Amino acid sequence: MAVYIRGIGNISIQNTFLSTGIPQPVWYNEPYVRCIDPDFKFFLNPLDARRMSKLIKRAIITAKASISDSGIEMPDAIISGTGLGSIDDTEKFLTSMIENDEKFLQPTFFIQSTHNTISSQIAINLKCYGHNNTFVQGGISFECALSETMMLFADNKIKSALVGGYDEMTPAYFKLLDRIGFWKKEPFASQELSKSNTNGAMAGEGSVSVVLSDSKDQKTYAEIKALDLLYMPENITNSIFDFLQRNNLKSSDIDIVVAGMNGDNKGDSIYWKIFSELFSETSQAAFKHLSGEYFTSAGFGVWMTANIIRSKFLPSFVSLNNIIPGKYNNILLINHYRNKNYSLILLSAC
Amino acid sequence: MTERVLVTGLGIVSGIGNTLEETLNSLLNGRSGVGIVEYLKTNHTDIPCSEVKLSDSEMFSMLSIPETSPVTRTALMGIIATREALTKAGIIPDRSMKIGFVSATTVGGMEKSEQYYPDFLENDSRNDFIKVHDCGACTEVIADYFGGFSYVSTISTACSSSANAIALGSNLIRHGILDIVIAGGTECLTKFHLNGFNTLMILDRAHCRPFDASRAGLNLGEGAAYLVLESEESARIRKANVLCRVSGYGNACDSYHQTASSPDGKGATLAMTQALEMSGLKPDEIDYINAHGTGTINNDESEGAAIMNVFRDKIPPVSSTKAFTGHTTSAAGSVEAVISILALTENFLPPNLNFKSKIEKLSFEPVTVLKRNVKLKNVLSNSFGFGGNNTAIVFSAENFSKN
Repeated sequence: MAVYIRGIGNISIQNTFLSTGIPQPVWYNEPYVRCIDPDFKFFLNPLDARRMSKLIKRAIITAKASISDSGIEMPDAIISGTGLGSIDDTEKFLTSMIENDEKFLQPTFFIQSTHNTISSQIAINLKCYGHNNTFVQGGISFECALSETMMLFADNKIKSALVGGYDEMTPAYFKLLDRIGFWKKEPFASQELSKSNTNGAMAGEGSVSVVLSDSKDQKTYAEIKALDLLYMPENITNSIFDFLQRNNLKSSDIDIVVAGMNGDNKGDSIYWKIFSELFSETSQAAFKHLSGEYFTSAGFGVWMTANIIRSKFLPSFVSLNNIIPGKYNNILLINHYRNKNYSLILLSAC
Repeated sequence: MTERVLVTGLGIVSGIGNTLEETLNSLLNGRSGVGIVEYLKTNHTDIPCSEVKLSDSEMFSMLSIPETSPVTRTALMGIIATREALTKAGIIPDRSMKIGFVSATTVGGMEKSEQYYPDFLENDSRNDFIKVHDCGACTEVIADYFGGFSYVSTISTACSSSANAIALGSNLIRHGILDIVIAGGTECLTKFHLNGFNTLMILDRAHCRPFDASRAGLNLGEGAAYLVLESEESARIRKANVLCRVSGYGNACDSYHQTASSPDGKGATLAMTQALEMSGLKPDEIDYINAHGTGTINNDESEGAAIMNVFRDKIPPVSSTKAFTGHTTSAAGSVEAVISILALTENFLPPNLNFKSKIEKLSFEPVTVLKRNVKLKNVLSNSFGFGGNNTAIVFSAENFSKN
């Protein structure tokens, strides 16, 4: 069963929304960055939007953009990944509960704090009665959503799906993670993030919706060939070798390898080791210097990879070793979150 | 269908028992876990809940975990139930096996976050708990207690979360990705949840009365429950004791309202219909429905309408066991899956406590007294979540089970 990427909507810390292809990058010198949002009022009915949190607004807007990009009117399933859901509303409800000693609370923030509100709100907005699910597995939440979707396609239960990754980085949550050393403290420039060689990542946030289908058309971006999720793999190089073998590929068949390097030297050293063991002659690229690190940043990686395949062009600002790929047939996307959760996604030209 | 999915172990902790045996005893003796809160520190002491009858200290000690460890009550309960499921199935997770852990939770580490949040913002004293706030981290704490899992995933679809975890676990086996999956969910009571549900005005100040005309809301509960799901081949090689089979499941979205179910029960109807379709069963082959039956005005009427849509004039025995366990939110799907499987393997129909008079719009009444020595072949368990996340699962008896 082939699964194709038919449409994508992407709100990120880059000018990705409604951009055809990968736009010229915006570079950052600080670890806390928020999305470049479109003007929400052009895309949402003000009555609907009144009570929506920012994350839900972004999710509905990218969902609709991906649907219109795909030419598929109604997806058969809506499956989302989110590490934290609407953390902004969670914080509001929590703070109010603590400050007012469990009195005078409003239901709206509680309702929106529930992670599955994103998938549900998209479904209610589209009037979609199909399979609806929400994955919350930290740094591979988006890939978990994609993985279930692939199984539903293989079972012939669906012919199309809307898969998304949605997370926001509130000032308070940034501060919490900063306290435990997640973010960069040393000066850096995001264009050189993968070579910064200091502790901590650059944070980000984003909303990426992808419409998948079992059929393709002339505009189709790419095929998602295979996906593996791994928990604390003993030897990631062996796992990648095994993944390629199961898909009848050698490492030399991979035209570009895209890694989720986030600037944290400890985590990034794992990618450099994989590169040296399997992909030393391969064109190497990264994406988190554009997206920042957040729980569902892999969605941005899929958006970028799909665009590279469709345009048959690797922008120099994402390349790590300046090897120009000879072909754009197979791209391997490798992502890990704090050396615990790993994902491998194989995307191919179609 | 590529593979049959077998259930070879169960583990549960809830207000009605800390083990599978205690749970069964409570069900057979009509003992509810609902009462005045003892462990949750809240001002809302007038709201009855069903708490697990263990303090955090007792759980730390049962599991030999140092009390200062960043392990929340949700994770502790999850470990207790997972440990029982693994022990019952005779499994020690190991890297040489294709074994995964799929869990479900709604608020993850909130139980500690709501106590320590001012510290999180102001000082370094509770830093260990920052990392275990998100839902996925909670699952990893449980998985890491045992080690040996090569696959971990977490689902959050409010009150149907752990039913979707069972469906995902079954898919992972059917697709040959894993041989064994421990699937279920865990959720402890939190002030966050209690206050959240309270703002929605759906908490009954008295003991809940699912499917009763006078019902006035739900009682929250806490609990954890896990199923050991296993491929036929793995179960055969291990000579596992097979309890039943996961024969079908359906997931549909009601797409009606963020916190209310549609009057005609559209999403629930679709979920049950799909579960039946996948199982290859006709409606009249279902011998028992363990309803979602929260006791809210809205749910029971909507779910009742959906049951009538699917089963027409041949409605099988129905009961909600939430008056026993309270509504264990994310864990409800797997808590009730375990209760459904107990009914299937021990041949009884659990009663729907506190029922007096029928809902006018519904054609059926729930089972009100315990019925024993009832031969059950197929049972259906419903789980519905806010936002219209509706899931139904069918469990079927296996001929070569323990008898």
